Amino acid sequence: MAKDLMFQDEIKDSVREAYGSISAGAGQAVATNLYSEEELAELPPGAVDWALGVGNPVRYAFLEPGEVVLDIGSGAGIDTILAARRVAPEGKAIGLDIVPEMCERARAHATEAGVAERTEFLEGEMERIPLPDASVDVVISNGVLNLSARKSRALAEIFRVLRSGGRISLADLTVEGELPPEIANDQSAWAG
Amino acid sequence: MAGALAERVFAEKLGRAGFIDVWVGGHRTTSIDEASLYPLFTDDVIRLMRQTIPPERHDHVATAVIVKARKPEAR
Repeated sequence: MAKDLMFQDEIKDSVREAYGSISAGAGQAVATNLYSEEELAELPPGAVDWALGVGNPVRYAFLEPGEVVLDIGSGAGIDTILAARRVAPEGKAIGLDIVPEMCERARAHATEAGVAERTEFLEGEMERIPLPDASVDVVISNGVLNLSARKSRALAEIFRVLRSGGRISLADLTVEGELPPEIANDQSAWAG
Repeated sequence: MAGALAERVFAEKLGRAGFIDVWVGGHRTTSIDEASLYPLFTDDVIRLMRQTIPPERHDHVATAVIVKARKPEAR
């Protein structure tokens, strides 16, 4: 068990370091694949440059005004900002990220987007969400659950913070079949 | 990507966590070329992928999906 726990910590450190050290996201080339022109127009250009997601969880979440949304692994804030617009004027979007630099960027982008009062960005782990039980209506994330070495724990935490009847809309990567062991065992391959 | 689950396993884990009405859709294939656009994939990892993944799979190394589910209403 100790070895497994060490492996989990190493992966977490590796992911945190990888996301903390990059100087930009995948940018327009990826963002235009994932978001419509109208959605991109709702975002500050700087946020679009930091696109690192794999899908569009907000589009599938069918958010309603007044809802409280949690964006797990919020990065530079793209999906949190889009969510904050959908739940206006009474709702709120909370971003959670383990990388403090990302939280800072997201706050700046939310301010630039004019949704600062409807957003909050917390530094923390998806396996230990710093929110009370049943405090969230909808959980979204974008390319993040695959980064966890403790996915069952992360899902249990998502379940805990959701209110009864609450829902999730998660964009993520799936892989059918085995990846070559050289990749599966490569710590840096966990971050991408 | 190394931590990505198979779609079926993802759905099973959601069920075990207590979620209901699990839905998986919005499938979009991901190639090594697309992965290389992300700065999180280092040049070394991309090179390793090209070397170790069979060429016929280079255009589809992973699938991006949307997973939706719901927490049951309290009784």
